[in-house]
Amino acid sequence: MNCDQLRDSYELYAIGLAEDPERAEIRAHLNRGCEVCMEGVKQAMELTALLATTAPPAEPPKKLRGRILASVGAERVGFRWAPIWAAATALALIATVYFAREDRRLQMDAQILRRALSLQSVELTRLTSAFAIVNGPETKEASFGNAQPQPPRGKVFVNPRQGVLLIASNLPPTPAGKMYEMWTIPKGGKPVPAGMFQSRSDGSAMHVRPGSVDVQATAFVAVTVENEAGADQPTSQPIIVAPMTR
Amino acid sequence: MLTLPTTSADSEVVDRLRRRDPRALAELYDRYGRAVYALILRLVRDSAIAEDLVQETFLRVWNRVHAFDAVRGSLGPWLLAIARNRAIDYLRSAAGRERNAFEFEETEHPALFTNMESDLLAADKTRRIKEAMEKLAPNLRNVVELAYFEGLSQSEMAERTGQPLGTVKTWVRTALRNLRNELGLAVAP
Repeated sequence: MNCDQLRDSYELYAIGLAEDPERAEIRAHLNRGCEVCMEGVKQAMELTALLATTAPPAEPPKKLRGRILASVGAERVGFRWAPIWAAATALALIATVYFAREDRRLQMDAQILRRALSLQSVELTRLTSAFAIVNGPETKEASFGNAQPQPPRGKVFVNPRQGVLLIASNLPPTPAGKMYEMWTIPKGGKPVPAGMFQSRSDGSAMHVRPGSVDVQATAFVAVTVENEAGADQPTSQPIIVAPMTR
Repeated sequence: MLTLPTTSADSEVVDRLRRRDPRALAELYDRYGRAVYALILRLVRDSAIAEDLVQETFLRVWNRVHAFDAVRGSLGPWLLAIARNRAIDYLRSAAGRERNAFEFEETEHPALFTNMESDLLAADKTRRIKEAMEKLAPNLRNVVELAYFEGLSQSEMAERTGQPLGTVKTWVRTALRNLRNELGLAVAP
């Protein structure tokens, strides 16, 4: 068959529909380098390539690209590590925020603990002082309130080197802006301020005034209610009077 | 309708593919991956199978690019021919139909994809093929689609449409001639 007879078969050949004898003839022409048939088949191939573009658009899944490239040994590392690095970066940011918050919280906790420890340390010092006063061989002891119907009751311990310890119960709550103030009253002298304190919610109190005291010269240990700033001399009637001369 | 990039930079990609540069395959996929996937999906109508066949298509290019003419070759049409052949081979295999590997070898031979228009697959041409298809009578358009997108032979089309083989053959020739004329691809006398 000559080229002219094959012209209408080029598209059939290109699209895969050519049958013998046309198919065999075209193949033979191409094999012997027939320029006419080669050109005709190429143009038919252009037509079939264009037909491919009439397929409805479709988006391949994103993973397919990586899969194809991995199959020739490319991009495997980059493709796999990229999301891991992104996740690690996000995690690091979250961790930074979390630990910054946690650090602030821990700092606050530490501050609270330091304050509590400081208070406990003060309390321990107070208790140690109180223990030393109570157990001192030269300590002088006096009770108060026993004879009254609803008085504050308790004891006073006075040690010449350790100071004065007052332990009381049934103390009424002080009015707002007021506190209890303890006094040591020497024989024939003016009351000497011996520190401010507050009672607990159950009406009990323990107050220590550390330091040396002239026990023999002390006639009374008394407590009055005063302003929070304290007073140089009592301004109210004492609610506790413990005589030390008995 | 799909539009494809021009082939102006294809020669450089082909050259790098022949030097086994995997980044060239990445570029090739970025240019033609969507078109290849869309074509194969249209044929096999199953996304998982389409993915496998797209991979097979690009690997075939990777393995056979040494025979491709880097200067005169038209990469897009060649890639689409390989993609269609892979899909039709799958369809024939799945349906227990005759497979003809030799036919595929010759219709996707790199020598047939040289000196094509550089902008063959550009938007204007793809719009014109769509218009040309729409101009075809429904029976003519149907046989083109049965042949191209389902890989049926003329006998199989006759069976599918219930028409005499001779009628189908006439329809096919008429449809292809009309498309060729509409697109200005007429063979010189």
